[in-house]
Amino acid sequence: MAYYVNRRAEMTWWEKSYIPEILNGMWLTSRRFFHNLFGFIPFFLGTEKDRRIMTVYYPEEQVEYPVAYRGRPVLAQNEDGQPACVACGLCEIACPAYCIDIVPAENTGKQNQYERWPDVFNIDYAICIFCGNCEEACPEEAIFMSDDCEISMLDRKQMLYTKEQLLTPVADLQKRIEFTRNMYAKWNY
Amino acid sequence: MLVDLAITLVKILFIFAVTVGFFAPVLTWVERKQSALMQDRIGANRADIMGFTVLGLFHIIADALKMFTKEDFIPDGANKVLHTMSPIVALVPALLTFAVVPFGGQYTLFDKEVNLVISDLDVGLLFVFAIASLATYGYVIAGWSSNNNWSLLGSMRTASQMISYEVTMGLTIIGVLMVYGSMKLTEIGAIQENFWMWGIFLQPVGFFMFLTASIAENKRIPFDAPEAESELVAGYFTEYSGLKFGMFFMAEFVEMVTIGAIMTILFLGAWHIPFLTTATLLSWFDFLGTTGSNLVVMLIHVGVFFAKVVFFIYLQMIIRWTLPRFRYDQIMKLGWKILLPLSLANILVTGLVILALN
Repeated sequence: MAYYVNRRAEMTWWEKSYIPEILNGMWLTSRRFFHNLFGFIPFFLGTEKDRRIMTVYYPEEQVEYPVAYRGRPVLAQNEDGQPACVACGLCEIACPAYCIDIVPAENTGKQNQYERWPDVFNIDYAICIFCGNCEEACPEEAIFMSDDCEISMLDRKQMLYTKEQLLTPVADLQKRIEFTRNMYAKWNY
Repeated sequence: MLVDLAITLVKILFIFAVTVGFFAPVLTWVERKQSALMQDRIGANRADIMGFTVLGLFHIIADALKMFTKEDFIPDGANKVLHTMSPIVALVPALLTFAVVPFGGQYTLFDKEVNLVISDLDVGLLFVFAIASLATYGYVIAGWSSNNNWSLLGSMRTASQMISYEVTMGLTIIGVLMVYGSMKLTEIGAIQENFWMWGIFLQPVGFFMFLTASIAENKRIPFDAPEAESELVAGYFTEYSGLKFGMFFMAEFVEMVTIGAIMTILFLGAWHIPFLTTATLLSWFDFLGTTGSNLVVMLIHVGVFFAKVVFFIYLQMIIRWTLPRFRYDQIMKLGWKILLPLSLANILVTGLVILALN
């Protein structure tokens, strides 16, 4: 159903005379001003409940991001300390920015119960576009987008994160794992 | 003779302390804080000394320090003399108008008549407008001497806007003159001792027109075509940095105070409290002797005057943060097609009423 906006709305004589409408607007802004002016005092005493001003003091205060938020991608680490990744390279292919770099290692003898694992797993956050394709491509639930968005370095080289830096315990990622299961199950992967 | 000189010097120092020393810096803070509160924000509060922020008041010091230490930049191809001169030309008229602005009545202190105005000119009102219109030169020269297209466009807009709105301002003043029959600002103030003689009752239409025109003269937001951040970078002061930029800024805030003072004298009863004549006030403090009672009444009157000025500053600020900008053609339309005929009609009606009452 087409919805038409009347862009040629004629102002009434009352509105055209400016002054009542200006006074109306000034009444609104003044009301907010005095409302907040007196709301300032409980705010300074530190009671969160009386807070009318919703500004967040960023470095001191942090906002909790929603689960769907795509921060920097991290590697899931199993309870025994090994990455859940099997170095299949699907995320490397899915990555549109080519920021993932994997060198696989295979189990030759019986070092542990894993058959394959990444020997090198680098993500260059200077290139990463935070699209989440790697997470979507991963068949092993090994790579996830975390809620960490504070990636700032003094040097570009420090933006290259190695496997050890990327590993995050699975326990910390439970929310996101659940979210991705719901999300991608819908599309019958 | 020496005493007179000393009194005049004290008055000049007082005006400087109030406008440049108090209002101009504090208004920069007020503008940030007030706009923040209005929009459910907190506003500037990070500048601190030893961990104390004092509601962000230290931002004034931080701003001043920043402006002092910034590079004073003159662009290539700019006219150096005019480029340096224009901020001064813009700031001085704003301060100079205060020479004839009375901030209190006449009081007897130590058997001496003290008139709380630096220079009690017979043509005070004309002087204010003559000097205020000089400020336009500062802005026009600033734009022209910067060798920058944005600046030039901004200064052209300043010139046209100033001319359009000064006409309205001048014609509005004629209504006030007809009512009070005097151009002496002290006399106009003295007449308004009677509450029902306040300009806002005698010239209600003139009050609104004068307010509109004076905000347009100050180039604040509903009429900010000369600065037009979204169109002209920063208008006429695009190429200014450091303290010269600060002077333009200060000129704007001092002009706000000037407008508040003139509006108070012309329309809001100057230094008088409604229904309280100076004689009644003096009789209340009779037990303090002539000098004592006069001194107390003087302080009260000066306080009342500046309270009214603060009210007008608040009004200008709230208008600035409430209304969206006018388009350029809308500014011209409002000036020439609405305000000018209205001000002419105002003169006609005022004249007819005065004729009928006599």
